Amino acid sequence: MEIPARQSLPAMKQAPSHQGGQKGDPAFRLLATATGVGVLVVLGAIIAVMVTGGWKAFATFGPGFLVSAVWNPVTQHFGAAAPVFGTVISSALALLVAVPLAFGTAFWLTALAPPAAASVIGMAVQLLAAVPSIIFGMWGFFVVVPVVAHYVQPAARQLFGHVPGLSALVAGAPFGTGLFTAALILAVMITPSITAVMRDVFLSMPAVLRESGYGLGATRWEVMRHVVLPWSRQGVVGGIVLGMGRAMGETMAVTFVIGDSNHIGWSLFAPANTIASLIALEFPESPAGSLKLASLMALGAILMAISFVTLWFSRWLLARGEQAAGR
Amino acid sequence: MSIEVPVKATGMTQPLDSTAASRDVQSPVAMQVRGLNFYYGTSHALHDISLDFPERSVTGMIGPSGCGKSTLLRVLNRMYDLYPGQRATGEVIFDKQNILNSGVDLNVLRSRIGMVFQKPTPFPMSIYDNIAFGIRLHERVSRSEMDGRVEDALRRVALWSEVQDRLSASATALSGGQQQRLCIARTIAVRPEVILLDEPTSALDPVSTARIEELLDELKTEFTIAIVTHNMQQAARCADQVAFFYMGRLIEVDSTARMFTTPREQQTQDYITGRFG
Repeated sequence: MEIPARQSLPAMKQAPSHQGGQKGDPAFRLLATATGVGVLVVLGAIIAVMVTGGWKAFATFGPGFLVSAVWNPVTQHFGAAAPVFGTVISSALALLVAVPLAFGTAFWLTALAPPAAASVIGMAVQLLAAVPSIIFGMWGFFVVVPVVAHYVQPAARQLFGHVPGLSALVAGAPFGTGLFTAALILAVMITPSITAVMRDVFLSMPAVLRESGYGLGATRWEVMRHVVLPWSRQGVVGGIVLGMGRAMGETMAVTFVIGDSNHIGWSLFAPANTIASLIALEFPESPAGSLKLASLMALGAILMAISFVTLWFSRWLLARGEQAAGR
Repeated sequence: MSIEVPVKATGMTQPLDSTAASRDVQSPVAMQVRGLNFYYGTSHALHDISLDFPERSVTGMIGPSGCGKSTLLRVLNRMYDLYPGQRATGEVIFDKQNILNSGVDLNVLRSRIGMVFQKPTPFPMSIYDNIAFGIRLHERVSRSEMDGRVEDALRRVALWSEVQDRLSASATALSGGQQQRLCIARTIAVRPEVILLDEPTSALDPVSTARIEELLDELKTEFTIAIVTHNMQQAARCADQVAFFYMGRLIEVDSTARMFTTPREQQTQDYITGRFG
């Protein structure tokens, strides 16, 4: 193409327009700094609100608030242990199911699937990740709960009910609602997002590194296990933490199927509560200034603390892993 | 074995018996490429290539970017197989077998035909494990034997003295030249018969490049080597025979001395004198 050199000359004479950029630069810097600082301010404000709102509960019950499993609005006794237990166990169970599923799907999508299938299913994974949680809640309530009540728990009781040690895990009446069902729904919800992250990190690996593995005669699994996974460890752990965060904070879907019982027990099928579901259920019935509302706020603060600790823990794990690998 | 190289670029098959007798390379042939065509989807990347790789010697492959020399290298260990839509027709005879056949065990094939890439590609693990990784894929060896194999491989690429006291350190912390020698060590540790090198020094400084070139000279006493290079001096220094590719065709192949002094084809002459490419 020919360059219209003559025409560009007058345009270049209008160089003073550049001064707008010189004025704009400090303004843009200010704006960018403000947004950056804004993140910190919002985070600080949220923590402050949760802690001051929950202060009354911490002050009334002391450290006992953390270990007490009582939640009795009549006697005005509140403790965090039961919902914390429900949150941690349901999220852990969900990860136990979701991580292998997500890894398998991402592995298949990136290393084995024919490209046409990989793009269609890759898209489906993204769509599944975008399904609103209320949909999962309804699906869980109308489909999963009856299946668990009629088939899964009875079968589990038949299999493990007489095995010492395992019988406690399957004990209780078959309501269908409870930890197991909540974990199942959570797993279905977080698998797509973990898969999407894993797939992206696997794909972002330089092809030549992968080829070096194949070049030594490694199979697809060996390349995945010894080359791709170590290389993408950070992203994989990031994806899992992201999924865990979503599982711990998930409210709507869990509230539908958890069974609303502040109870700590061995049974996987027993009704329980998570922090989020308890807050969702009790918040409308908590008058302003009441001890109950303060307790709910305190629970919120605890949930945030748990999230921060897991995030920090995963970073620490990563740092340690990289030290071991000598990076 | 007589070496006969049909050169299709001139439009007819030329028996080269007259020149073959006077060629420097007289050893038996490790790999024979016959009538090879290669396609990236519908694009025809290699046209009817026929080329011999004599045993225990270095074959240099030169030509301008996109001429198909790297593509040919990726056919020789079936690396293209990883990518759907890429296919090859014709024959590549290795150990009396056409490796383009669908029944070939690719993992075994690639352990016998190793590959070193343009950029150093150390795995994200320790120096020791980088070498041991390939060996473990194919053999069960005791810890002490593994130590010996790792040391041997590192000695042969002249890396041992530089890394012997930090074998458990990460390989990614090595310099570029060291990483590339590590990658060569990793390849020879598996004890292949053929080593394919795809512009192995293009990302390295002159000193590291010289070391790799010296290394090739030693390695060819034991391995058959095919090296793709952009650098004609490198081809002249390292190779025993040189093949010139242009636009997906093999224009000419001959001993290095002949190629750089009296090439038969005008295109070869133009390329090596720097008139294009």
